[in-house]
Amino acid sequence: MVFSSILFLFRFMPAAFLIYYAVPRRFKNFTLLVLSLIFYSWGEVRYFPIMVASVLVDYIASNGIERNRHSKLRCRLFLLLSVIFNLGMLGFFKYTDFIISNINALFGTTIGLLKLTLPLGISFYTFQTMSYTIDVYRDKVKAERNIIDFGAFVVLFPQLIAGPIVRYTDVSRELKERKVNAAQIQDGIGTFIMGLGSKVLIANNIGSLWTEVESLGFSNISTPLAWLGILAFSLQIYFDFSGYSLMAIGLGKMLGFEFPQNFNYPYISKSMTEFWRRWHMTLGSWFREYLYIPLGGNRVKPARMYFNLFVVWAATGLWHGASWNFVLWGLFFFVLLVIEKTWLLQYLNNSKIFSRVYMIFLLLISWSLFAITDFSQLGLFFTKMFTMQGGTDWMYYLRNYVVVFILAILLSTPILNFWYNKWLYKHKILTIVLIGGILVLSVAYLVDASYNPFLYFRF
Amino acid sequence: MTFIRKNLLLILFFLFILGFSLADILTPDRIFSDTENRYLAQNPKFTLSSLMDNSFGLKYEEYINDQFVGRDNWIDIKSYTEFALAKIENNGITYGKDHYLFEKYQKVDEAKLENNIRYLQEYLAMYNYPKATLAIIPNSYMILNDKVPAGLNNVDQFTYIASIYEKMQENNLTTLDFKTVLQEHKNEYIYYRTDHHWTTYGAYLAYREYALSKGLTPVEYTALEGHDVLDFYGTYYSKTKNFNAVPDVITYFDVPVDSVEIDGSPVDGIYDLKKFEERDKYAAFLRGNNGLTVIRSGQNHNHQDGKTSRVMVIKDSYGNSFVPYLTYNYDEVYVVDLRALPNTMKLLMETDFDDILILYNFMNFTNDVNIAKLRY
Repeated sequence: MVFSSILFLFRFMPAAFLIYYAVPRRFKNFTLLVLSLIFYSWGEVRYFPIMVASVLVDYIASNGIERNRHSKLRCRLFLLLSVIFNLGMLGFFKYTDFIISNINALFGTTIGLLKLTLPLGISFYTFQTMSYTIDVYRDKVKAERNIIDFGAFVVLFPQLIAGPIVRYTDVSRELKERKVNAAQIQDGIGTFIMGLGSKVLIANNIGSLWTEVESLGFSNISTPLAWLGILAFSLQIYFDFSGYSLMAIGLGKMLGFEFPQNFNYPYISKSMTEFWRRWHMTLGSWFREYLYIPLGGNRVKPARMYFNLFVVWAATGLWHGASWNFVLWGLFFFVLLVIEKTWLLQYLNNSKIFSRVYMIFLLLISWSLFAITDFSQLGLFFTKMFTMQGGTDWMYYLRNYVVVFILAILLSTPILNFWYNKWLYKHKILTIVLIGGILVLSVAYLVDASYNPFLYFRF
Repeated sequence: MTFIRKNLLLILFFLFILGFSLADILTPDRIFSDTENRYLAQNPKFTLSSLMDNSFGLKYEEYINDQFVGRDNWIDIKSYTEFALAKIENNGITYGKDHYLFEKYQKVDEAKLENNIRYLQEYLAMYNYPKATLAIIPNSYMILNDKVPAGLNNVDQFTYIASIYEKMQENNLTTLDFKTVLQEHKNEYIYYRTDHHWTTYGAYLAYREYALSKGLTPVEYTALEGHDVLDFYGTYYSKTKNFNAVPDVITYFDVPVDSVEIDGSPVDGIYDLKKFEERDKYAAFLRGNNGLTVIRSGQNHNHQDGKTSRVMVIKDSYGNSFVPYLTYNYDEVYVVDLRALPNTMKLLMETDFDDILILYNFMNFTNDVNIAKLRY
């Protein structure tokens, strides 16, 4: 189930929140666990046991570490159990076919592909549970003894499918004692609706342009349409993903949880270094904390530091998808970040225009690498972008999408938010009309949903 | 009071969600949507196997979407919003000049087209008859190209039709091109604004071409006794629901016939006049798409005593407004719609035909999988 659906809004959500608010406090985590398992199992019943196994393994591993503090060896073995299990699951479901097809291509073998459906949210919850056990191992947090509380953390439905990557330390206090009051619920509702609008009204709307460019075929499009198409994709992926994070944060608030922020206007960045501090922030900090720093981070010789960066960015790329283009996408950032680190960053930080042109250009290139999995198609697309191909096709699409483009670009900057906070915020009725309007329009678009994909769904 | 004022958003939100959820659960399900002209998804049957293979979840979600309370109004709201966003299309239909709606049709399914050509060739090889005629009708955006929004690169149907005709040359077949005659009359009302069909007049122009190509005298358009049906909102409108659409006018003619039979049962006349009062008005022609319709003419201008002339038209819905004219040139008109044909073509081919006309609009000719049924 996804949040942006009639089924969620008018079946799951009313039922779940009524039950959740009605039950006494001591049953709330149990209720949350059951509701989340229903949410997860909807449409993916077969993978229910995997979820249960995930909870059990990390519960056993973390408590094993806690009880064997005296023995370094046993602690390590329990940690290893968690890491092997989580990475093994992720590897098996997400990367087996990728490895097989590479072996086939290299050695000319014809090993059959498994063609498994990826369990929902596996890229997110394996990272969450693994980091929890690592934190226990590092003695940063005590292992959770209550399996219901722990289970509720792992399957907590708002953040289960597409993040933000909530760490146990982020919510451990709230798991035990959280206040759910009207002001917080109301705040959550506002955030949820803003996220819903981002996803349904902006991302879906502009995303259909990129889908159309793809279905037209890259060989049939003009140069302006190629640029228009990838600009549309860039806006789509931002509003899609940040919208989903906002919905998750809003729902979390409605349940009494504070999830970490995941996006902070990444497209206004002046450098790639800044971009990755503003884009998918919980993933960036996860990789920093659990991969980059353990590798030695930057407190090592330069050569080793560049190696560490290389590993982190290759892994970040691969995390986004089991295909070489994602690795290339990650390494593209590696190269840019190294260049910025060595000399470019100071110039970028001091420039207003050049830094933005630099960023927009390179981001469009990076999203091309991300969006097109097939290398020959990618080559074709770049040819279209950089050798002038005339045509009138862009006129139609520009005319059709111009207002949506303007809206989406404005909304990816803090300009409108600034006016909202400065002026509209004081007029309570107006904000309610605005938020209510977004909700009504989102429902209308969902009912007439000819186009409602979710980019980060199969991660 | 202060609680309400302080938590207005919270209260309104839950009223909205709970209110619509309850209303949705309490509203009875609909079978058919008149505005969308399609059957709506129904509550799927729950079985363990459908749960396990995920099909239940998907079908249930579709059911909830299709049956959501006030569906038609929600669709209207989206249509208004798209208009407010200055969009020039909605659900795959684009808004042209003079209130014309056109399909966005940017890709031909080449494999399907190849198959359909092959099926037709196999069919022609199976029987020994007078030359059949193949006529592929271009869709409205091809003829009314100056009303289509600039830059919309739709499939060039003329090139495709020419190449299909060329491939069919070796077979026992004549081809008939409506391009010229339709283009000559492009400033007249030959296609509907809100529907994908041609108008009764557009169909007449094509009929005239056909009759002349067979050496028959076409009936004069002005000699026909016509009626106008107003307020026709067609299939394109069903998709866009644009509030500024200008409804179409359907013209139909009194065509005296001796008898009409649909799949063996006699019916009263070639029009289902009740349909003119409903939304799907075009379905009045030939009473919709039926398998085999046999019309015995009472007015064949080319009648020869002692002989019964027969034509068979294998058609899609474009043929429905075309067929009535043929009663002025043949004693018996057999109309076949492969999509609904209960019997096999073999059975039908035991009848003697003077002429055979295969009449499809381009999109159906390239897409319709039922053309495969020609071979059985």
